[in-house]
Amino acid sequence: KNSIQTTLMPSYKLSYFNGRGVGEVSRLIFAAAGQKYEDVRYEVDQWPAYKAEMPLGQMPVLEVDGIKLPQSAAIARFLAKQFHLAGKDNFEQAKVDAVVDTIYDTYKAWAPSRFGEDPVKKEALSKKFFGEELPKQLQNLETLGKLYGNGGHFFVGNQLTWADLFFHTITETLLGINADCLNNFPWLKQNRAEVEKQPKIAEYLKNRSKTEL
Amino acid sequence: MSTYKLYYFNTRGRAEIARLIFIAADQKFEDIRYEHSEWSSHKNEMPLEQMPVLEVDGVKLPQSGAIARFLAKQFHLAGKDNFEQAKVDAVVDTIADAMTQFLPIRFENDETKQIEMVKNFFANELPKHLQNLEVLAKQFGNGGLFFIGNNLTWADLLFYEVTETLLGLNKNALDNHQWLKQNRAEVEKQPRIAEYLKNRPKSQF
Repeated sequence: KNSIQTTLMPSYKLSYFNGRGVGEVSRLIFAAAGQKYEDVRYEVDQWPAYKAEMPLGQMPVLEVDGIKLPQSAAIARFLAKQFHLAGKDNFEQAKVDAVVDTIYDTYKAWAPSRFGEDPVKKEALSKKFFGEELPKQLQNLETLGKLYGNGGHFFVGNQLTWADLFFHTITETLLGINADCLNNFPWLKQNRAEVEKQPKIAEYLKNRSKTEL
Repeated sequence: MSTYKLYYFNTRGRAEIARLIFIAADQKFEDIRYEHSEWSSHKNEMPLEQMPVLEVDGVKLPQSGAIARFLAKQFHLAGKDNFEQAKVDAVVDTIADAMTQFLPIRFENDETKQIEMVKNFFANELPKHLQNLEVLAKQFGNGGLFFIGNNLTWADLLFYEVTETLLGLNKNALDNHQWLKQNRAEVEKQPRIAEYLKNRPKSQF
């Protein structure tokens, strides 16, 4: 590699667990962009040995030309902007951010039902989430898709953005628990289908190992 | 020249960061504040039936983080290039992590329980978030007094804003964090911010 090429093209290294979680959206962005990167995956029992290397003792972490960046949303938004998957101007990027924030709200509402310690409590939380909270959030997401989507199948502006990719991976997990949870939301189902049709994403999903989380 | 309308309750809460960005940028905006009694009649005007909402040239945008980041980018308070903006976002997310833990306390109705939760938050939860913020400032702050790159960004404004609430509950909350105290002092020194803080109505949250 000559030195000019090294200067123009940053090197990317993503460190995360061997699963999807909140890191997968960044892997999907790399895949959609056709961008090479080092995909470092730690099993849960390996991770403690590497914790001290990460700025906040957490993952995901993105290393760009040797500089470490924590926080999954900051990472994904940076990559989306690098590869033109974030929205075409500042206001469009804000619409994408609003959809992403609403998806994060959904994820945070779900997390206690999966990651708590009391199985009885978790069962009750899960029922409440799938019965009440999730339909509300999905309604919100359809509202935003109709408001910002210019009549198309993507959340914002008739183009694939990281909002669509993030929605796909978070709902992958939810559909794994409750396969019917999108049945009342045809627009959202169609949105997922559009993501899966993108050639580079289709290829990536074909080869990706299935994980619960 | 775009027109900006910000809709929220008559308090600081999740909208004050947007107000601070407008003030720092010396940008006019319509600062619409609904009392709780008025809010129900306006709820269905907002995309997600929540506030804050920012209206830009008639188009509504929900979600306080998306609003603040948009305004910061409009007014050059977001970081000078994509990677610097990512560092700002990482600091913002770390501040938000602390406040996510604080939120259940804010809305706890049982006063005895709330007092206990406040004690626990300051003793056992907040310290690690403050530590994390100092780590990021050392890595991203170029040795200066702002979180990123030696310039005021909305990360500094957000930190100022959330710690206003926390210091109101525990005035010693930052005593072991000199850099963070100095960062707040730098924000307060900014002329337009100083003027605004002098005149703004006091609110606990």
